[in-house]
Amino acid sequence: MLAQAKVERRLTALSHLIQLAVIVAAVGAWAFLTSAHAINPLFLPAPLAVLKALVHLVGSRGFWGAVGVTTFTTAVAYAIAASAGIVLGFFIGRSPTLTAAYRPVLAGLFAIPLTLFFPLFVVMFGLGPASKIAFGALYGFFPIVLNTIAGFSGIDRLFLRSAQSQGATRAQTLRHIFLPGAWPVVLAGLRIGFFITFASVLGGETLSSAAGVGYSIAHEGDLLDSPPMFAWIAIVLTVTVLLNLALTVLEKRAVRSS
Amino acid sequence: MPPAITVDRVSQLFAGANGAPDALALDTVSLEIGRGEFVCLLGPSGCGKSTLLNIIGGLIAPTSGTVTVGATPVRGPLPRDVAFVFQESTLLPWYTVLENFRVSLEFQERRNGWREHAMTALSSVGMQGFAGFYPSQLSIGMKQRINLARGIALDTGILLMDEPFAALDEQTRLVLGEDLSVLLARTGKTIVFVTHSLSEAVMLADTIVVMTARPGKVKSVIAVAEPHPRSPDFMLQPRFSEVRNQCYELLRDEIRVTVDAMREARDARPS
Amino acid sequence: MQSVAAKPPSAAAIRWWTIAGLVLLWEAAARLLGDPAFVAPPSLVLRTLPELLGDPKVVAALGTALLEIVTAFILAVIAGAIVGIAIGLTTLGRRTFYPFVLLLFGLPQVVVLPLVILIFGLGPASRIAFGFTHGVLPIMVTTITGMRSVSPLLISSARSQGATQAQMLRHIIFPTMIATVFTGLRLAMSLTLLGVVLAELFVSTNGIGNYTQIFAETFKPGKLYGLILVLAVTAVALNEIVALVEARFSRWKQS
Repeated sequence: MLAQAKVERRLTALSHLIQLAVIVAAVGAWAFLTSAHAINPLFLPAPLAVLKALVHLVGSRGFWGAVGVTTFTTAVAYAIAASAGIVLGFFIGRSPTLTAAYRPVLAGLFAIPLTLFFPLFVVMFGLGPASKIAFGALYGFFPIVLNTIAGFSGIDRLFLRSAQSQGATRAQTLRHIFLPGAWPVVLAGLRIGFFITFASVLGGETLSSAAGVGYSIAHEGDLLDSPPMFAWIAIVLTVTVLLNLALTVLEKRAVRSS
Repeated sequence: MPPAITVDRVSQLFAGANGAPDALALDTVSLEIGRGEFVCLLGPSGCGKSTLLNIIGGLIAPTSGTVTVGATPVRGPLPRDVAFVFQESTLLPWYTVLENFRVSLEFQERRNGWREHAMTALSSVGMQGFAGFYPSQLSIGMKQRINLARGIALDTGILLMDEPFAALDEQTRLVLGEDLSVLLARTGKTIVFVTHSLSEAVMLADTIVVMTARPGKVKSVIAVAEPHPRSPDFMLQPRFSEVRNQCYELLRDEIRVTVDAMREARDARPS
Repeated sequence: MQSVAAKPPSAAAIRWWTIAGLVLLWEAAARLLGDPAFVAPPSLVLRTLPELLGDPKVVAALGTALLEIVTAFILAVIAGAIVGIAIGLTTLGRRTFYPFVLLLFGLPQVVVLPLVILIFGLGPASRIAFGFTHGVLPIMVTTITGMRSVSPLLISSARSQGATQAQMLRHIIFPTMIATVFTGLRLAMSLTLLGVVLAELFVSTNGIGNYTQIFAETFKPGKLYGLILVLAVTAVALNEIVALVEARFSRWKQS
């Protein structure tokens, strides 16, 4: 029984050890399988080839061009999604009737693969960034509006009545009860919405585009050139992980300081 | 006749988690509980009464000391001799009430005639109409009634109850307390009942074991000489108030110690 | 005393009137402003539906997509549940592998779509694979987190009643696990749909992607919209079926 605390610490250390071992084993297997020519290099190029392609890629102008297009597209799409989502979410979430009216529809729509509508955007806006901006904004809008509705409609009526009985004005109620109460949920929605917008933009670029990171990946696939494709994938995945970390930390800070 | 339960110098030390100091929950507790006796463990929060109950029932092994049930030393759960009734309903939520009885009796390796057995137990608490219901369809009071019925259905000589009525409202509590008293008179079960309600303890118990604040020791043992089944009128008698006041005086200082300790812990914590 | 004002419109009424209004707006805007080469009003879409669904090749493509979705979903649920339970069964397993699962769950899988097509080819296999990778993760996440929710109180109670490990597994742990797999079912269906649709649209030489391209390039917006509408309705229907299955198995949860 006294060993309880020690067992706890050992468990955590062991788990970290296994995690490290898994990563090392994965990389090792990658190197081994490719050097033994056990796998078609098209499906899995050698780590060194990927590394070389990565270095070559980052130095090239085409790289920064593609990154620029994707970044611009994502930023604009997200700005639209966030503003529309928060504004609409606020007005709907504040009213129980409107929430009951629209939340099920929005939730239901979000559950279907909105990617289905992407060909429509291409038909209407062409192959350029506009179709991806529209698509990314549409997809990212949903988690933001749904979370904003949840945030504002989820405020315990008890708090509102208590404020009312204390004679608070509408502005005061908004500032001291609605906003702080809804804030954490809204922020979570903004974070989720960002990644959905980002993934949608990448998806749109992969499906139908003339430029951008998604297009580059699909293009390398068309050319059957795996090392640069893998290099691109590695870059995107790393950036996503770092962004997720950064946004999660930001979100925690923003919630705490409010 | 040997006592139903013997607790011999039981101490319980809990290891501190994440660098916290180890905590002594029970300090050399010794008790003797006779057959058919209704014993209440009464004490402030954190005094270790639930821990003691779990040790008696074989769910936790004590750091030192022994517990004997009848003639057998306790080294693990004793499903045929000891039944628990916990504060929250431990009915499995994915089974109906009746199915819950079947499963519990199956654990006890009692398969024949389980249905009649279950229905009888349910009838004794007036819940026979709800056999086909799922726990989520019942109120807390109803669930605890059924919890109690299940404890009875297990047909053990000893019933260990850990604040079973704490989540119920006053009226339900009184009614169930009455039922329990009737049950005791009828079946002669030995009951160990944990509570921090003074009135409940005096109303139900033959013997009240008052415990100190953590680390829990036996402060005093008070007898309540009133035969079971007890009528609600017992509460109106002067004897009731006397015993109750006696318990209150013993407890008051222990409660104060507990509250002061909580304040200290709160102030010592880095924010 | 309640004010004698007109009764406010019900939520359902607001919802349906808004939808009706938007459809009318679509009809009007498409007819008046839209280029008929690219934009189709709802009336046209409905009119071309019979022609669309009468084409056996289109129906075959739809059927294949449906088959891919269902296959990918079933595989994802089974694999996800097995792996999720294996990981979540022990504290060590959970602490070691759950972070990996969460990491994978947060990645935009679309970036490996071209790779999946390279490996699995242009046929249904790549669609099923891509749908699988999308659907398996939420099942794993909900299963792993759900395993933690096995109530220690229920375990204590069962122990005191003399339950063996096997009995506790069967009557407490197993039902808890099943319940947690079911909570992830709806999300898994949504994501599987997404994966399969992405893969279908990416491959434009056969399947749905082929027809979206054909209808777009031959300026038949009515058929294009119609195809998408049919798929969207199918998606909603599949989601509803999964929700019903979940509800049927969660009858004991009602409160």
